[in-house]
Amino acid sequence: MIGPSFPALLLAAQGGDEQAFAILWRDLQPALLRYLRVAIPTAADDLAAETWMSVIRGLAGFRGDERNFRAWVFTLARHRTVDWHRQAARQQTDVMSVELLGDRPAPDDPAAAALEAQSTRAALVLIAELPRDQAEVVMLRVLAGLDVADVARLLGKRPGAVRVLAHRGLRRLARRLESAGLARGVTR
Amino acid sequence: MNEEDAVPIDMRQLLAFLRPMPPVLDEDTADRLLTGRLDPADAPPGYAGVARLLAVAAAPAAPEELTGQAAAVARFAAEVESHPPTPIPRRTGMPSRMSSVKVTAVVSVVVLSVSGVAAAATGLLPSPARWVAEQVSSTSHASSTSRGQGDPGTAAPDSPGLDKATTAALCQAWQAGQGASNGNRADSAAFRALATAAGGADKVAAYCQAAADGGTATSSKGQGTPTGPDAAGAAKAGLCRAWQAGQGGSNGRRDDSVAFRALAAAAGGVDKIPAFCETTTSTSAHGQSAEPHGNGKGPSSPPTTLSSPAAASPSASGPPSSTGHGGQGQGGPPTTG
Repeated sequence: MIGPSFPALLLAAQGGDEQAFAILWRDLQPALLRYLRVAIPTAADDLAAETWMSVIRGLAGFRGDERNFRAWVFTLARHRTVDWHRQAARQQTDVMSVELLGDRPAPDDPAAAALEAQSTRAALVLIAELPRDQAEVVMLRVLAGLDVADVARLLGKRPGAVRVLAHRGLRRLARRLESAGLARGVTR
Repeated sequence: MNEEDAVPIDMRQLLAFLRPMPPVLDEDTADRLLTGRLDPADAPPGYAGVARLLAVAAAPAAPEELTGQAAAVARFAAEVESHPPTPIPRRTGMPSRMSSVKVTAVVSVVVLSVSGVAAAATGLLPSPARWVAEQVSSTSHASSTSRGQGDPGTAAPDSPGLDKATTAALCQAWQAGQGASNGNRADSAAFRALATAAGGADKVAAYCQAAADGGTATSSKGQGTPTGPDAAGAAKAGLCRAWQAGQGGSNGRRDDSVAFRALAAAAGGVDKIPAFCETTTSTSAHGQSAEPHGNGKGPSSPPTTLSSPAAASPSASGPPSSTGHGGQGQGGPPTTG
């Protein structure tokens, strides 16, 4: 989050200032990329670039505060993933197998890599194992910095449904880590 | 190595099913977990690992995640080049030329301000942005040069359209820059606007002198704040917020920056900033939301407002993304293999 200087930065970026845009980009790109890596691992970088293209084109018309801005950027990102799935379906690609091949996580269990090697990529692989809607809610809450109401609006779901998905996702992750023998962990 | 580690993996997974399921979290705990405010040590049984996992997932940016910056900024620059930023579309029929001059000037001031804010209050910016902040201070003149030229509004020679606060801020910035980068300065949109208002580049000094004499008098009377929705409100709000946020920390350096000198000028003195910001934060809150639609927060906040950026780029191929709203837009990209 950028914080107090966000309005001035946004205004400058809307006026075409490259440095201001660069600051906005650096602030959001990591979260955006991670969200997309969970959603569609094989195309995350391309989709992030396309998302920024949409942001750039629409920037002048954007109104709102920093949270609105983040919600907007992730909405655009989500549109990209929806388009991607649609196109993949049209091309009769086996989406599931493509997704599972993903980034080819190391042969080791990603749970171990995530918790013991503190690998962000491995953590994302693990979250991506969740059912898609659960993974999406978890990512939007954890990485996009959006609250339940924001996420609900973004996904077109009721807040209650978003909460349920989050709970299920968390519980599933807990079980997953437990089965990997890594749940005890603060002291490890 | 404890006993359990010696058990084969398959067996371990099998054993996991015999363990009790992790409890269902209460709402507050789930919320803290998702927002990174739950220490793994305080997590309910079974969730310590999840807390650590989510912390790892939300770790600070890795260098490889930022490798696309140059390309992204280049695309941004190309877009700005081909579709120069247009003045904020307003629903109310304002005289567009007049307002565009104002907007251009204000935006440029903000660029200067941002550099000041960044330089003065590096603590306010997230650390990854720090190096950018450093660069901004050194390059903002150059970048504002290239940016300003496309703006139709700046060319209008007959409408000064600068209110007192903007003039004061511009003059402050102009005076601050006198020693250093004289060459670049005159080219920027902001200073072209100032020169226009002054009646010529050679008259800026005198104009600023006069404005300073008259300007401080009026602003100390308390008329400094512009009426109506004005982009200056947003800029001021940003500065004020930055100023307020920085109060605890680096007080000394803060006062030196161009941005805060401009703020001080607009307030009528360094000592008047607190009072000035007090009033501005409340009025500019209106200004900001009033600007786009003229009504409350309603339609302005949904992120999808964006679907109307037609104003920004009406001609060229429409943005491929904005078509697909939540899934109903018809076509994907045309590249069907």
